[in-house]
Amino acid sequence: MSNPKKPHVTVMRSQLSRARGLGSGQAGVGHWWAERASAVALVPLSGWFVIQVFRLAGASQPEVAKWGARPFNTTMMLSLVILTFYHTQLGLQVIIDDYVHGKAHLPAGLLMKGIVFLLGLFGAVSVLKLALAGSSRSTIAAG
Amino acid sequence: MVEFRLPKNSTVGKGRIFTATPGASNVKNFRIYRWSPDDDSNPVVDTYEIDLDKIGPMVLDALIHIKNDVDSTLTFRRSCREGICGSCAMNIAGENTLACLKPIRDIEGDIAIYPLPHMPVIKDLVPDLDGAYAQLRSIDPWLKSDTAPPPDSERRQSIEERAELDGMWECILCFCCSTSCPSYWWNGDRYLGPATLLAAYRWIADSRDEHAGDRLDALEDPLKLYACRTIMNCTQTCPKGLNPAKAISRIKELQLERKA
Repeated sequence: MSNPKKPHVTVMRSQLSRARGLGSGQAGVGHWWAERASAVALVPLSGWFVIQVFRLAGASQPEVAKWGARPFNTTMMLSLVILTFYHTQLGLQVIIDDYVHGKAHLPAGLLMKGIVFLLGLFGAVSVLKLALAGSSRSTIAAG
Repeated sequence: MVEFRLPKNSTVGKGRIFTATPGASNVKNFRIYRWSPDDDSNPVVDTYEIDLDKIGPMVLDALIHIKNDVDSTLTFRRSCREGICGSCAMNIAGENTLACLKPIRDIEGDIAIYPLPHMPVIKDLVPDLDGAYAQLRSIDPWLKSDTAPPPDSERRQSIEERAELDGMWECILCFCCSTSCPSYWWNGDRYLGPATLLAAYRWIADSRDEHAGDRLDALEDPLKLYACRTIMNCTQTCPKGLNPAKAISRIKELQLERKA
């Protein structure tokens, strides 16, 4: 006869077995380091971008396009966009690791990565569009 | 998902009030978490009015006075009463610390006392630390050396090598740090927690140990080690003044160093 007052025990696995779990995932160093390295790289890039925004305040569309078409500016802008969204993805992954457990963990991470990837790609395409538009206009203007 | 609210059967209710003897002049209220597995009741907070003139200076003195003279059903762990056994770790006035090292006069107003946070409660102020102890066991907290020791002496260390262990050997495994850590609350089933990671680094840093690589292999995991978000509650709360966050940073540095 089972005792109705006694709760049914579903886990009898030893504490040591639970603590060891599936062992080490042999990962984490890369993510940890990439998070810090991208953060450091974003400091000068963001500073440069803020200064450029102030310098371009009140500029006309052709002036901005001309600015965006300079290879140095295009490179800096692409670096900023790529690193920003890369860093965003790394940071959001940490939040998902902390707060989403169980079966939802993997799909939540995939969904987040997909959205951040598309947003980053949109930013990169926009920078390239500005760069190419600026250069084609300057060609026409020169011709 | 993370639980932001207590389960229904953990909601804390109001408990009894034990009034001080008439004529007591130096009274302080101790509001203490009470829960017993022997009935189906929710936990409550009992209030004990204690005459501080009758007892010693530490919070543990008040608890022992309550158990001896006021309410013998109050359950807590204590042993050495001088901060070396780690038994009386609990949450006092919102901070994890040892009751024996916490002076009553350092706390303004009523003193709230709860068990160490986010651990299963066995009774009153006694938490179930089996999982935390098993995690400590999982990192093999003992010397592992393949070189035989000298036949006529102990394994020797230089003064500098020995100094590497300062700030780590002093840990008494009270688990104040691990149970103060939000990462340990959310992911305590996989994150090892600051107490265990401090112990792990203690053996990685030991010049006599020959298995640092294996130890680093075992820790290289997104959650076991890297669930540490450098919140630093561990270092802030440690009643022995140790710095588990620094030990964890050193492990992360070594993980990076061996990749390059």
